[in-house]
Amino acid sequence: MGTMRYIIQRLFYGLILVCGVVILNFFLIHAAPGDVAEVIAGEMGGITEEMMAEIRAQYGLDKPVIVQLGLYLGQVLQGNLGVSYHFDRPVTDLIWQKAGATILLALSAQVIAMVVGVTLGVLSSRKPQGILSGFVSVFSTVGYAAPVFWTGLMLVILFSVVIPIFPVEGMVSARFRGSSFDYILNVAHHLVLPASTLAILFLAQYARLSRAAMIEVLGADYVRTARAKGLGEWRVTFHHALRNAVLPILTIAGIQFGNLISGALLVETVFNWPGMGRLAFDSVLRRDFPTLLGVLFFASLVVVIANLLTDLSYRLADPRIRTGGR
Amino acid sequence: MSQTSTATSQPALEAISPMREAWSQFLRNRPAVFGLILLTVIVAFVLYGRYIFDGDPYRIVWGPLTAPGAREGIYLGTDFLGRDILTNLLKGGAPTMAVGVSAALLTVVIGIAVGATAGYFGGWMDDLLMRLTEFFQVLPALLFAMVLVTLFSPSLFTISFAIGIVSWPPTARLTRAEFLRIRELEYVTAARSIGAGNGRIIWRVILPNALPPLIVSATLTIGVAILFEAGLSFLGLGDPNSISWGLMIGQNRNFLLEAWWPVAIPGIAIFLTVFAVSLVGDGLNDAFNPKLRSR
Amino acid sequence: MLMKRRTLFGAIASVVALSVGIATAEPRSGGELVFVSGETPRHMNPAVQSGVATAIPGTQLFASPLRVDENWDLHPYLAEAWEWSDDGLSLTLNLVDNAVFHDGVPVTSSDVAFSIMTIKANHPFQTMFGPVEAVDTPDAHTAVIRLSQPHPALLLALTGALCPIIPEHIYGDGQAVRDHPANNAPIGSGPFQLAEYRPGEQITLERFDDFFIDGRPYLDRVIYRIVGDAASVTLSLESGDADIGIVADASSITRLGGVDGLTVTPQGFEGIGPIQWIAFNTRVEPMNDVRVRQAIAYATDTDFILNALMRGVASAQTSPIIASSPLSDPNMVTYPLDLDRANALLDEAGHPRGDDGTRFTLTMETVPGRDAALGNIPEYLRSQLREVGINVELRASPDFPTWAGHLASGDFQMSMDIVFNWGDPVIGVHRTYLSSNIREVIWSNTQGYENERVDELLDMAGRELDTDARASLYQEFQQIVGEELPVYWINALPYHHAFDDRLGNPPLTIWGMMQSLDQVYWTEDR
Repeated sequence: MGTMRYIIQRLFYGLILVCGVVILNFFLIHAAPGDVAEVIAGEMGGITEEMMAEIRAQYGLDKPVIVQLGLYLGQVLQGNLGVSYHFDRPVTDLIWQKAGATILLALSAQVIAMVVGVTLGVLSSRKPQGILSGFVSVFSTVGYAAPVFWTGLMLVILFSVVIPIFPVEGMVSARFRGSSFDYILNVAHHLVLPASTLAILFLAQYARLSRAAMIEVLGADYVRTARAKGLGEWRVTFHHALRNAVLPILTIAGIQFGNLISGALLVETVFNWPGMGRLAFDSVLRRDFPTLLGVLFFASLVVVIANLLTDLSYRLADPRIRTGGR
Repeated sequence: MSQTSTATSQPALEAISPMREAWSQFLRNRPAVFGLILLTVIVAFVLYGRYIFDGDPYRIVWGPLTAPGAREGIYLGTDFLGRDILTNLLKGGAPTMAVGVSAALLTVVIGIAVGATAGYFGGWMDDLLMRLTEFFQVLPALLFAMVLVTLFSPSLFTISFAIGIVSWPPTARLTRAEFLRIRELEYVTAARSIGAGNGRIIWRVILPNALPPLIVSATLTIGVAILFEAGLSFLGLGDPNSISWGLMIGQNRNFLLEAWWPVAIPGIAIFLTVFAVSLVGDGLNDAFNPKLRSR
Repeated sequence: MLMKRRTLFGAIASVVALSVGIATAEPRSGGELVFVSGETPRHMNPAVQSGVATAIPGTQLFASPLRVDENWDLHPYLAEAWEWSDDGLSLTLNLVDNAVFHDGVPVTSSDVAFSIMTIKANHPFQTMFGPVEAVDTPDAHTAVIRLSQPHPALLLALTGALCPIIPEHIYGDGQAVRDHPANNAPIGSGPFQLAEYRPGEQITLERFDDFFIDGRPYLDRVIYRIVGDAASVTLSLESGDADIGIVADASSITRLGGVDGLTVTPQGFEGIGPIQWIAFNTRVEPMNDVRVRQAIAYATDTDFILNALMRGVASAQTSPIIASSPLSDPNMVTYPLDLDRANALLDEAGHPRGDDGTRFTLTMETVPGRDAALGNIPEYLRSQLREVGINVELRASPDFPTWAGHLASGDFQMSMDIVFNWGDPVIGVHRTYLSSNIREVIWSNTQGYENERVDELLDMAGRELDTDARASLYQEFQQIVGEELPVYWINALPYHHAFDDRLGNPPLTIWGMMQSLDQVYWTEDR
């Protein structure tokens, strides 16, 4: 079917999914014990019953859940994600501020994982039984078998106690005062550890994939032909291997996206990275419903779009799919 | 007469020999065997070790954050309260693995149920179930699990449930793909022609043949579930009435700068377990698919 | 490497200073102060939001009528003089005449009147301004607070974060003050004004040049930086990323104490008076029997908790009023570890041991995150109380609201709790023991404790202006609750200020960081 129509259909359908996610979580979070009135009481070190009632009335929490849901959905459809109970600011503002940090973290991690993973995989494919190959296997295994927050904590020890060359918390130094370029450098400096931690999680798959692709290609006919013709062996090998590996890599990237978000939450917690993961986590604890639902909405939307992009690139890369054959 | 008897006896034959053949393939795969041995060792440690080191894990045995071996009998040091880490490690292994296995079980049960129904019956049921699967795939897993655990209060049961609920989509997809494939094969049409009902076909004919990739998937899911539980415990949403390795990491995290071993040791335990499980899973995968083996 | 950097820098700086003959104690203008914290304030107006997180930036933005020092003595601030009437039913404040708000509008007595009445209506600590009937404003710089009964707590209630003077011309526009948009962009008359606010990340405050005290504040900038947890706070302080912070766990305190260039002190929290105690729900079995409560007290080894679990950084607390307060009773009855006594009391109370040695099972509430950082006493009690035949089961609440819900609704048997004194006992102490304050709200009398004589004593002490008479009323109160133990006090939370040595006049009054930093300066250039 036409690509344009496909995209629109998927998007529309994806939007319905996202709304479903929000509705389900709306009911769940409202059923959880405690609400924002108690959280505010906690922060204030005390409260009166009248104040609690006022707070609940202010946030509409005294109405039946269905009514609250209706009001909320009506709001969302107008593009208004509500106001955070905790910060008294529009949720869209908060998400806007934090999303950038998380996306930066996630993308950097993916890039690092892909580049390093593919490189290691390719290098170790030359001698499949060699030392480098073994090392790559072990190293990449640590990545996915060890809990990502644990890897992060180990890195924190390494770089705060043993060799303190990277900052272990935050996105930018508290005292930072400088030009935009300095700002970028400062952020990059802070980004190294969290992005590497998250990247280690996915390294293994990229390494294994590229190694397998390379091995398969190394023995193939066209390589021998190229060798015989005197063409650059590496160039040909690489070119073909890459062609073979593209689809699986895309598939992995797409599937892993959900894991990327979960991993980002844990990494943001360890490194105090001011992203959406942290925001969502704190919102659950603070019973900040609008923020939590807003983040869920946004995260689900991103997953839907990521899936769509993956499928589209799939179609582009593999002509067989485009014609509808299975 | 003989044709039909061959037709009906074939499924039984096909159900046995892949397993036997796979097993011998598996044994030839060195990393897989290593993984199996490692896993057996870990499970043995966890199941029997706590009878050797049978102290009360909650008892405060010495000063907080003592280094491993600093005192006679304290082999792995003490945690932030002064409790023995080795005892806690052994006592905490069973709950950690129990959550891993039950979550994987729940995942597999739901996944197979959904996938089999969708793959076998097709049509509107397939569409409906696939929508459901996509819905659960779009849900941010960790966040949703957090909401569930907060709602139901953390316990081993609620955590296993939460993990299972968010992890089943890939299994469902896999099952569906297998059912779609096998449904069209000869022996299934043959079975139907002799009047076998849907239930019988699903259970006795298709499912046994679909098992290999599902077994692999289930094994790998155990590893994922263990990591998931560790994450939840680390965030403070673990069951406080039982010990788990993730909980040990989370509890001692604030003392990281002073003592790295209460955090490092449980992490290593999780790593070894998940590593062993993955090796076994990969081994099974290679054993069931000799043609697709990636050496 | 990090520690050397601090020492080296410090060494060079002091050598330079000495050689040039500059007295390092001279207040010098300039520099910025970075305060690091794990708490996120909801907004910055302490008039409607109590709590430490709002108070710290709030007291830089807003000025209060009075201020208090480390000896609980009062000093002028926005009010240059004050006087009680003879009958003790009104307090006259004479305001300075040169104070202006950050937008240039002068501060007048009608702002003071507006603020006090707003706080009275909106602040959760109702007892602070409870007896205030009205505030008269005979002229632009005189405010007369009129009371329905004598109210000695009033003076302390006019200090620090408890009485920020907010601008009537902004907040008096009819919108509810509680969620007024100005709360996120506050205009006050304090020494610093808001420069930038990134919610959940950082608040940047800049010197207000027209501050009513000449030459102050000394600092150019105060930055309130929010990080994720205690470990990050410690790391920031250690590396010099932050200049001052509050640490509360033994690990950080010991670690930072060993860093050259940092001072770590428990001073500055006497006003808050943070007390950690075991709360008993006296309305349910078996906690309704005072002997059971006393038995648990005897079975708890507070020495072990303080020295081993809390590593010696927390101080013991044996009474409802914080030990550093002049009103605290130093002769409380104590419950040193005595397992025999505990067993005897439990037998007496009619709870004999069963065949397996257990007398009964108790459920104790716990919030894993919170309790872990504070010595994890529930875990300790679980193993310790087994020695006297009590089986403790922990019920974990994953977060604060869940736990608060249990206590508020009386759905608990035993729990750790942390409650602050907030200066005068009327504000933070009465609420736990008054039978009239048994409500479905956290930090009310969730123990369900009822004692007529205690109610009487607290009522009288609340209106007794004579300091000696007041002290003896509170003393009798403390003796009674010390016997009846609706709660069993364990320790004062080991809050410590950790700050750069080179800070002059560090904020160590009883309110600590919750009071204006206008007198703080750097002794050296940085």
